[in-house]
Amino acid sequence: MTEQRKALLLGSLGILGFLALWEAVGQGRWLGLSWPPLSAVLALLADENRQPLFARALGATLSSLGTGYAIGWAAGIGAAVLAHLVAPLREGLERTNAFIHAVPSVALAPLLILLVGREGTPATLAALNTFFILYVSTASGLGATQPALRDLVQVLGGSRWTRFIRLDLPLSLPTVVSGMRLAAPSALIGVIIGEWFGAPRGLGVLVINAMQNFQIPLLWSAVLLAVMVSLSLFAILGALHRGVVARLR
Amino acid sequence: MDAQPAIAVEGVTKRFRLEGGREFTALDDVSLSLAEGEFVTLLGPSGCGKSTILRLVAALEEPSAGRVAVEGRPPAELSRQHRLGVAFQDHALLPWLDVASNIALPFKVAGMRVDAERVAGLIRLVGLSGFEKARPRQLSGGMRQRVAIARALVLKPDVLLLDEPFGALDAVTRRGMNIELQRIWTEQRTTTLLVTHDVGEALFLSDRIVVLSGRPGRVVRVVDVPFERPRHPSIMRSDLFHGMSDDLTEALHPPAELP
Repeated sequence: MTEQRKALLLGSLGILGFLALWEAVGQGRWLGLSWPPLSAVLALLADENRQPLFARALGATLSSLGTGYAIGWAAGIGAAVLAHLVAPLREGLERTNAFIHAVPSVALAPLLILLVGREGTPATLAALNTFFILYVSTASGLGATQPALRDLVQVLGGSRWTRFIRLDLPLSLPTVVSGMRLAAPSALIGVIIGEWFGAPRGLGVLVINAMQNFQIPLLWSAVLLAVMVSLSLFAILGALHRGVVARLR
Repeated sequence: MDAQPAIAVEGVTKRFRLEGGREFTALDDVSLSLAEGEFVTLLGPSGCGKSTILRLVAALEEPSAGRVAVEGRPPAELSRQHRLGVAFQDHALLPWLDVASNIALPFKVAGMRVDAERVAGLIRLVGLSGFEKARPRQLSGGMRQRVAIARALVLKPDVLLLDEPFGALDAVTRRGMNIELQRIWTEQRTTTLLVTHDVGEALFLSDRIVVLSGRPGRVVRVVDVPFERPRHPSIMRSDLFHGMSDDLTEALHPPAELP
């Protein structure tokens, strides 16, 4: 417990130090105008007149993120389960996924704008990023059941489906949730890249607009919001992961 | 029907293909048979293929030559009909299930209704009353093996296969578990094939001991164990027990093969 507290204390000190440095660099203009002090960024985020702008952008981003993440999650797990249960499909699915993943989001985005439109592109990119990570983590989790447990179910006369439900699926949960955690920031990157290519609203749009109009504190506010979304999701899914691991240990 | 052995292994050879295409003969022309209700032990040095024999009877492996039959039928039928019980050296308990649920697992795998009374009875039989709700990680090594043995027995199997079930335990716990298993087995009298490299364990538990030589596995000797059942632990201190123990140890390590 004391070790944990010490780690927490040191971690908080580190973050505080970083924030203080941010403020100092901004106040002193050591890096010029493009580095505003933290207080200016926070003041802008708290500015009542700006609230509707931030709320709209954040809402659009979260909505694309939620939709894309949910679709990618379901499709990734579904494809991995299919590959696990129907062995002949495995290799084909794996290659297709690797191929899709090898295409960079930035190259894919303009194509998607034509295919699914400006509104749909952020969610689609989020779905693609999530899909790949969930596919890989689910497939490896499902394949990791210890041989002794497999033998046991076979000797007890269990079918492939029984083995899947009783062993492979529960045993894969920690890996799947770990994949969910990794996929969250990756999906957010997908959304923001998608928004850069001309979505009507979103944090990515805010970033691009602020940058092009040299509204430096606004740019930083948008980036800070994106970071906070990413870190919160990472923390929530991290807690879920710890819970699942404790349950299955 | 009476003449038909419960388990028959006839002229079985098992070869494994190693990486690089070389072949490795694990078993060479092995034959043995178990009558119904008999407790037979396969005794041999590690790597002699005794576990392979068990896996063949469990239909987890196919023989390269020869035939394995359980009650005159292919062994896979036995497991498909949920009439086979196994306990391995690795207790293979599901970590997220408590003791009672782990013991009830074979019912669920077989798609049968869980007989809670049978589960409770087995928990009493293996001496784990009060630990029904404990998870495997909260149990000692010996207690986990008791759970594994209770799980092997829960469906009242026709055949029980035990692969070094106490191999990972310390000597004192192991002896205690042997005494327990002897008591449990005497109540059920299930046809049992045990794999071990422990001479004392083999002598105390079995009706017959089949000694195997290593690489490739061959039957070198079959020994009938004369002790009456139920067996009291004191027989382990008898001269006959010691004498047979020495003989079997000798048979396991022929002088010429000593390193």
